Amino acid sequence: MVEEITDFEVLEIAVRELAIEKGLFTAEDHRKFTEWAEQIGPVGGSRLVAKAWTDPVYKARVLSDPISACREIGIDWAEPTGSGTPSDYMNLRVLEDTPTLHHVIVCTLCSCYPRPLLGHSPYWYRSPNYRRRLIRWPRQILAEFGLALPPEMEIRVEDSNQKCRFMVLPVRPSGTDGWTEKELAEIVTRDTMIGVALPRPGRTADDVRPVHKARRPVPHEGEARP
Amino acid sequence: MSRQTKSAVPKSAAPARFNAGDRVQVRELPNLFYTRTQMYIRGATGIIAERTYEDLTPEDEPWNRDDAQREQYYIVRFRQKDLWPGYPFEGDTLQTELPDGWLESAGK
Repeated sequence: MVEEITDFEVLEIAVRELAIEKGLFTAEDHRKFTEWAEQIGPVGGSRLVAKAWTDPVYKARVLSDPISACREIGIDWAEPTGSGTPSDYMNLRVLEDTPTLHHVIVCTLCSCYPRPLLGHSPYWYRSPNYRRRLIRWPRQILAEFGLALPPEMEIRVEDSNQKCRFMVLPVRPSGTDGWTEKELAEIVTRDTMIGVALPRPGRTADDVRPVHKARRPVPHEGEARP
Repeated sequence: MSRQTKSAVPKSAAPARFNAGDRVQVRELPNLFYTRTQMYIRGATGIIAERTYEDLTPEDEPWNRDDAQREQYYIVRFRQKDLWPGYPFEGDTLQTELPDGWLESAGK
């Protein structure tokens, strides 16, 4: 990732200002939506997995009726913002890992992602690097994330190219007997629900990916030019 | 706005031709403009993993053809060894989602 303003950020500002000028929405509408969008994270997904690990009846519901299962933990795909913006995407599938089957998710065509459950996708998930390579060399990509799985395991890549949205339900790791849902949720990080990492006791944050500093950075609003 | 609020009674979808477990091949069709059937999957043979939902196809929906025939969508599972020459791991698979019209039966 390069830390520099992109053409798309410039485009977004221009389109947003034009839309506000034309009265499509107000700056206040945009601010409220942005604040909501920027605060959603993977907490919903973590809670869903932790609950599925501790409650087999809930886990069965997660697999057979995932949208209802989400509602039970407070995530409503029909009203994800809580401010009246319905989602067109009501087809969630939770992919259950087993000791012999590991799932990993990608959207080769764009960057489809289960945002109501996981929040915003990481920048690498949207990169052509990941999207083009994961389908062809999944084990190499997983190794780049530090995950090497035995050849006898089946690695199943899920290319979410239509309206289904996917999330991985990882295998509950050993060493977590008797843990509360809250303790379990802490080790279910975003990367474990995409499929590029496995949860384990003590691992409560995803690995930091490298960021390349811009050579001629454009200062953001309010910053001085370096 | 969700599509459900736009039209009164949606036309029934084209009959779904496949069930879970059926062998199918992705058709090689010419597509102008927009499609969501990836180039890497054209001509590949796999099995139906599940039926998902009925909806407009990506070839119709972006053009606001709300009256076009809807189709059954399926998640189709492929062996990676069948998709990529020399793929070295026996058991690895890939799944992706395709509408009915892009598939044809591949026999048993």
